Amino acid sequence: MSEGAHGKGSFISTYIFSFDHKMIGKQYLTLAMMMGVVGGLLAMLVRLQLGFPGTQFQLLEKLFPVGMASGYMTPEFYVMLFTMHGTIMVFFLLSLMPVSGFGNFLIPLQIGTRDMAFPFLNMLSFWTVVPGAIIIIVSFFVEGGAAAAGWTAYPPLSAVRSAIPGSGAGQTLWLIGMIFFVASFTMGGLNFVVTIINLRTKGMNMFRLPLTTWAQFVVGILGILAFPALAAGAILLLFDRSLGTSFFLPSGIFIGETLFPHEGGAPLLWQHLFWFLGHPEVYIIMLPAMGFTSDVLATFSRRPIFGYRSMVYAIIAIGTLSFLVWGHHMFVSGMSPILGSIFVTTTLAIAIPSAVKVFNWLATLWRARIRFTTPMLFALAVVSLFVTGGLTGVFLGTNAVDIQLHDTYFVVAHFHFIMAGAGLFGAFAAIYYWFPKMFGHFMNAKLGKVHFWFTFLAYYGTFFPMHYLGIAGMMRRIYDPNTYEYLKPLQPVSQFITISAFILGAAQFIFFVNYFWSMYKGEKCTEENPWGANGLEWSTPVNPGHGNWPEEIPEVHRWPYDYNVPGVNEDHVPQWKASVKVEG
Amino acid sequence: MAENREMRSGNSQGLFLALSIWGIVLISVVYFFKYDVPELASNRSSQDTLYYVILGITGVAYILVQAVLGYYIYRYRSDSGVEGSYWHESHKLEMTWTIATAVILIPIVFAGLRIWGTVKAAAPEDSIIIQAMGAQFQWDFRYPGPDGEFGAIRPELYSLENYMGLDPADPASADDFIRTNQLVIPVDRPVRIVLMSKDVQHAFFLPNFRVKNDLVPGMRTDVWFVPTKVGEYEIACAELCGLGHYRMRAFLEVKTQTDYESWLAEQHSQDN
Repeated sequence: MSEGAHGKGSFISTYIFSFDHKMIGKQYLTLAMMMGVVGGLLAMLVRLQLGFPGTQFQLLEKLFPVGMASGYMTPEFYVMLFTMHGTIMVFFLLSLMPVSGFGNFLIPLQIGTRDMAFPFLNMLSFWTVVPGAIIIIVSFFVEGGAAAAGWTAYPPLSAVRSAIPGSGAGQTLWLIGMIFFVASFTMGGLNFVVTIINLRTKGMNMFRLPLTTWAQFVVGILGILAFPALAAGAILLLFDRSLGTSFFLPSGIFIGETLFPHEGGAPLLWQHLFWFLGHPEVYIIMLPAMGFTSDVLATFSRRPIFGYRSMVYAIIAIGTLSFLVWGHHMFVSGMSPILGSIFVTTTLAIAIPSAVKVFNWLATLWRARIRFTTPMLFALAVVSLFVTGGLTGVFLGTNAVDIQLHDTYFVVAHFHFIMAGAGLFGAFAAIYYWFPKMFGHFMNAKLGKVHFWFTFLAYYGTFFPMHYLGIAGMMRRIYDPNTYEYLKPLQPVSQFITISAFILGAAQFIFFVNYFWSMYKGEKCTEENPWGANGLEWSTPVNPGHGNWPEEIPEVHRWPYDYNVPGVNEDHVPQWKASVKVEG
Repeated sequence: MAENREMRSGNSQGLFLALSIWGIVLISVVYFFKYDVPELASNRSSQDTLYYVILGITGVAYILVQAVLGYYIYRYRSDSGVEGSYWHESHKLEMTWTIATAVILIPIVFAGLRIWGTVKAAAPEDSIIIQAMGAQFQWDFRYPGPDGEFGAIRPELYSLENYMGLDPADPASADDFIRTNQLVIPVDRPVRIVLMSKDVQHAFFLPNFRVKNDLVPGMRTDVWFVPTKVGEYEIACAELCGLGHYRMRAFLEVKTQTDYESWLAEQHSQDN
């Protein structure tokens, strides 16, 4: 990669146990991509079953002799597939890539400091999530297979070993993996918050931060406050599973001809703990993507981001409200209907700052001079996906309507647009945009466009029709919808979705080829600020070394969105520029 | 500034993107007219009304916002000749769209809460009460028999023969009868289903009746509704309950009052 930049350390201290936030960020990205490949392949198998239920696939028997015995997928295998798909995607791809990956890489560069506040903690945080990821992968190979109680792991299904095959060692490993993940993520969050509060360079006041860093700041706080609830829940569930406690298990549970001796526990307690994390988690995934989108839109519109302050307030409002909406996952769970009414109100309140963000993005594009680079295409797609997914949230947030749509494919469609879609496309925008700063090369633009077009169209093709399935009443997580008479006519839709999903999956190989090829062979980036952007990260050399700036850290003189300033010769004025030439 | 190749090229990309977004909106909206909620067979039409109202409102918002997004992408390409603007603050505009969003959402919240209040209110006094017990992977529906009383459920008595744990010594249980995977109810009378689970969570989902609620081990939940159409319907489990979740299916028969009574009499005579 870079000559001399990392030259001082040994291979191990440079690439493995590095303290450099940029290297740690790249390590997170690499891990997230590896996990993303696994999560994506699991989704392909899920779609294979749903598109072609009861079809024999001889070839797959060779790969999965148990799960695809004699070429037919077993229900056990199917349940495990979607459980692990959800787990891996939500935590190990969509959290690790935008937050841990880009957060670490960008925060010090964007605020003007040489590293995170606690570089050792940063390194430790990465090396805590690695065992978590390994445990999750290993869990596929234990007896009974990986966890199969859904990514939400509701007990008793996840608590009683005989409830489902994956509830054996697989579920135990799932819980332990999660505890590692939470430990890592809270360390990271702490680092983000402390760094952003304390280490900003001269002139970089909070209202001069790029929206990406603002998002990471709020995400850091959310991570610290929300994730421990999952850790607590996971530890209590381990106790219930292994030590005979009854946190989540009431009396009278009868599975496999056995009456269990538990007494007094409440399954709903788990749901509350899980969703107290689970909902902020959605915004942990989305807020950085919204930040990337704002920054990329401004750069390639050659326009200042519209309503910067209201964007910041919207991020704060979304972050705050995200702690007050978890009950909307539980409208029909048996939770008190009065609580249900409260959660409707808070849930629809969160739609307001979300809508504000969309309107501000649109206003940013008004009278812009758009350059359709690959990152810009992905950022524009985020706006479209976010609108689509956000609007369906109104249905699900209204409890009276949610009764019918809850746990149907309508929900699957909703969160794949708003969370997964915006998160993934935001991460792609970020990768194409900051790649030259990360590796000193550009990603190939032609391959990038091909990747974008297949991904964008196949994404809509895969997830939009799921709304129709949900409206028609198709439940989530069912191995064969054709069991039900009223779902049989929907099979062509499922088949269409499956074909789209395969295209979507295949398109990602174009990305991987481009990513790894460009890292070494891509067009060389010869300037520190190739996109003509304003953020402080673009003032560092092409291959910034450990410490980021070879000399003094520049002082900041303005906000990061001075594009097309009236009366100024240059079309953009970077943050580190003291004075500007005025025309005439 | 660096004008690398990618920054100069690609205005055709903007045209394609605008066309794609408009195309997606057109196709996706057309198909909304093709796929509808399952035929309604209960008194819960207000849930459907609100669903259609939200579909209308969000549909208009979806079309407008995506159309504008597509238009801006098309209109403001870098070679469009439009002079770029630096304008980036408008308190008035921010307030307008914040308040506009709130004004649209507030009636939805109130309408939703009103319907929720009706649906979740206590069942009418004259409701027929039936117990439903979910177990991996079947539904057992228990009727109280001629005495109208349910005997106690005792988990220690669960067995292959006695899957609802009824106590033979309990006189209230003696005349109760259980139908597995078959629920029979009369039309136009309120029915209250008491939901229980003996193992993991399940969800009692009646797609045609707009009814769904989880069955939670250790607690009783309930739903009530009034069936309005005679016919046969499917009952589904909507909460992951194990590898057989997909086949945890049962049937619901809505009969006329007279048919229901003769069916009930038949069950009672068989039982004794």
